[in-house]
Amino acid sequence: MNRASFHRNRSQFRLGFWLLLAPIVLWLSLLIILPHVDMVLVSLRERIASRQYGFSLDNYTAFFTEPLYWNTFVRTAVMSIIATLMTLIIAFPVSFYIAKVLSGRPKIALFILCLIPFWVSELVRTYGWMILLRETGLISGALQWLGLAGQPVELLYNDVAIMIGLIYTSMLFMVVPLVTTLDSLDNSLIEAGYDLGGNGWQVMTNIVIPHAMPGIMSGCIVVFMLTLGNYLTPTLLGGKDSLWFTEQIYTQFITRFNWEQGAAFGILLLILSSLIVWLGLKLTKQSFTRVMS
Amino acid sequence: MSDHAVASATEPRVQADLACTRLSKQFGAFTAVDQVSFSIPRGAFFSILGPSGCGKTTLLRMLAGFQQPDSGDILIKGRSVLHTPPNKRPVNMVFQHLALFPNMSVAENIAYGLKRNGVPKRQHAALIDEVLTKVHLPGYGKKRIDQLSGGQKQRVAIARCLVLKPAVLLLDEPLGALDLKLREQMKIELKRLQQEFNTTFVYITHDQSEALVMSDQVAVMNHGRFEQVGTPQELYYQPKTAFVASFVGDSNQFAATVQAQTDQTVTTVTKRGVQLQCYSELALPPGAPVTLFIRPEVIQVGVCKPDPVPDNCLAATVLRILFDGARSQIQVQTAEGAVLLAALPQTADFQALTPGRSVYLSWQARQGLCFAATSPQHPGAVP
Amino acid sequence: MIPSLSSSRFYRVSYRCYVGLFFIFLITPLLVVAAFSFNDSLFPSLPWQGFTLDWYLGARSPRLGLLHDHALLDSIVVSVQVAVVTTVASLALATCNAFLFEREQFPGKNFLYVLMLMPLVIPGVILGVSILVFSSTVANWFEVQFEVELEALRPGLVLVSLGQFAFITTIATLVISARLRKFDLTLEEAAMNLGASRLTAIATVTLPFLRPALLGAAVVAFLMSFENFNTTLMLVGSEAPLTIAMFDRLREGSTPVLNAVSVLLMLGSACLALGSLFVQRPEKA
Repeated sequence: MNRASFHRNRSQFRLGFWLLLAPIVLWLSLLIILPHVDMVLVSLRERIASRQYGFSLDNYTAFFTEPLYWNTFVRTAVMSIIATLMTLIIAFPVSFYIAKVLSGRPKIALFILCLIPFWVSELVRTYGWMILLRETGLISGALQWLGLAGQPVELLYNDVAIMIGLIYTSMLFMVVPLVTTLDSLDNSLIEAGYDLGGNGWQVMTNIVIPHAMPGIMSGCIVVFMLTLGNYLTPTLLGGKDSLWFTEQIYTQFITRFNWEQGAAFGILLLILSSLIVWLGLKLTKQSFTRVMS
Repeated sequence: MSDHAVASATEPRVQADLACTRLSKQFGAFTAVDQVSFSIPRGAFFSILGPSGCGKTTLLRMLAGFQQPDSGDILIKGRSVLHTPPNKRPVNMVFQHLALFPNMSVAENIAYGLKRNGVPKRQHAALIDEVLTKVHLPGYGKKRIDQLSGGQKQRVAIARCLVLKPAVLLLDEPLGALDLKLREQMKIELKRLQQEFNTTFVYITHDQSEALVMSDQVAVMNHGRFEQVGTPQELYYQPKTAFVASFVGDSNQFAATVQAQTDQTVTTVTKRGVQLQCYSELALPPGAPVTLFIRPEVIQVGVCKPDPVPDNCLAATVLRILFDGARSQIQVQTAEGAVLLAALPQTADFQALTPGRSVYLSWQARQGLCFAATSPQHPGAVP
Repeated sequence: MIPSLSSSRFYRVSYRCYVGLFFIFLITPLLVVAAFSFNDSLFPSLPWQGFTLDWYLGARSPRLGLLHDHALLDSIVVSVQVAVVTTVASLALATCNAFLFEREQFPGKNFLYVLMLMPLVIPGVILGVSILVFSSTVANWFEVQFEVELEALRPGLVLVSLGQFAFITTIATLVISARLRKFDLTLEEAAMNLGASRLTAIATVTLPFLRPALLGAAVVAFLMSFENFNTTLMLVGSEAPLTIAMFDRLREGSTPVLNAVSVLLMLGSACLALGSLFVQRPEKA
């Protein structure tokens, strides 16, 4: 009797468990795992005839033999790393100011002020930079008005414009983790550092930065991911020759309808981003689950 | 009385609101509750007193239905509730941290159980007003939970249960979070509420004072078993086991050996060679190791030797005075070196007592208890 | 460095200037977009031709204002539809996930949790193309095997919603899990003790407790869906959501009607963001 009731209780519990498990398994398998497996399969085939496919590594060899693809890939990776580091350098003092210098109402207000631009679509933000940077834009106009330029200056469609756009777009994802970790640093640790004879630079490198490392890493990883996978900003601010790798993927899929090649590019980009994320985590001894949650 | 009474109480009786037979619960290799049987007559205030980890919370959660016993049965009003889910059991519980719903007002908290039990909505207001009046919180229905003080939250938690008129109310150390003063008030308040609602209360606590002040019956629990069940007076004056004697109230404890026994008076010698007369219901063979328990308040302190000489009389020197108002004690040392605590009499003679003074300590053999010092006894082991 | 430590005036002033410049950097692009929506010119650029409301109210081409630009208005409707569907679906699944990860113990839980986080580190473009590839594979298979054409699996709004749902669910799960972790389980036990069944207890006690997180997650999910570009770009069919429609016009070069849409977006986002902040405020008090 007793045991039977116990079992019934257990089986009810199991039923609830399966009902909770089924949706997440469906979601992850149908929308995340199987699509990526399928993409790998597509990237490893070539069209022999209409609806006839054979196994082939051509899509990958094409990547390594065609300098345009290869250059774009490296250029995207390098520019993403530069953009990430610059975002960090720009965001750190501001985050420190919000977390440690300010307190009370101004602190919350400034933090929210930091967030609000990012509630607005990336498209709108990029559009703002286009208006600022274009030949007939505000900065060009200002330079002429100041007499620094004799004629309209085209500031769009170059790497600096792309870089500004990328940094601007990623700023939030750096500021939030930085403010959060810096906020958790006890002020008395900084005071103790000074009290024991350290100067500003030593306190910063010995106490503040080691403490903020998890936040720095999680910010860097997210910013790098977003930059690497960005399509909008390089296309709009860099113009036709922005040479961003996501554009290559788009071109192969949508313009040339060469899905096999596009899938191979997608896999390569995914491998690159996973590799860099993994490397970042290993270097700073952070766990993926902790950084992401 | 207890062991016997408990054994017979396992028969389902009509007047028992709650009865358990041979209830056990294991967590892996750890036995949380071990063959516990008891029955509680209708309208009693029943406390389960024990140190933390003794299994009292597990026992309570089994009564409420949040845990399934491995074996044994639980009867509420004579009906087994083993197969009744927690929401269908006629018991309600006041949780340790009260578990008042923070998103609801006081009235909504109280109405929650009424709604779940299908009480028609038009009766709610009257029932809520009535129960709030009884817990001395009239007109508090609209308040939010976070506007209440600790004591008020207690009352709401109790009202939320009592409005459902449960057969048994379970209370899981609800006074633990309160400060001392409020706790003293709530003890009296709980007792009043129990009498007013005439509901069976099962109260678990590790605080002996809470158990002794409020209860009709107290079960002392240790290692998953009931050591003794009885009235507070029985537990205090006639503990059945060494554990009960040491856990309930304060005692001077001495390790000793038996010299002789006549009827229930045992002559013992402590390790330091002091001869003391004690009381034991059990036959103790000469030479058996025993533990003596002498409560500080039974010791008569005098500046001169009492006449006639009582069963036990020791000359001692005052070591220090532990002043605590009415609960003041003195620490004394006998010539043999044994250290005892005795209650400081509140008379003028002792106002000027200073360390170093000689005093006489005396008590009757019946006032000192001794138990065999071997493994801790269980009620079942007693012949 | 921190207020309790003295520092030179020069240091403090220059630090403040830096922070000030940073906020100018943050806010300028948005102000510029907003300002040029009122410029009486056919192009969103200098010179300033005077104030006009044409880009909101103008009824005739080329001065077609937002309120009469049916293509843009239709795309807003499309975006709202997609966002509502995505929000509801991702919130429902995220709530299940939160209960699964916070309440249940099962082998492989950590692995499943890491898998659940994966969508955060997959670039949106790649998430989009992978779903595009897989759905076509499935659709082709159905076509060959059963000769049925599954229109839903071809690029279009269904795929767009699925693609956004795939990664928004992760974010919603994180938000709701964080709140559920703070829930005191004895509240649910108390509800059951007072006569509620398990499901009733969850509905009457646990879900109200989760409400601020559910609302917050809903706002985030709605905005992320509404503003999503990367994943949507790869999955979009003939009906374009607002971001895609705006992108197409931006590349072609457009009148300041785009600025007017942007202002509308800013106002909408700001209202939602501030609204969600206010909803979560009383909880802390």
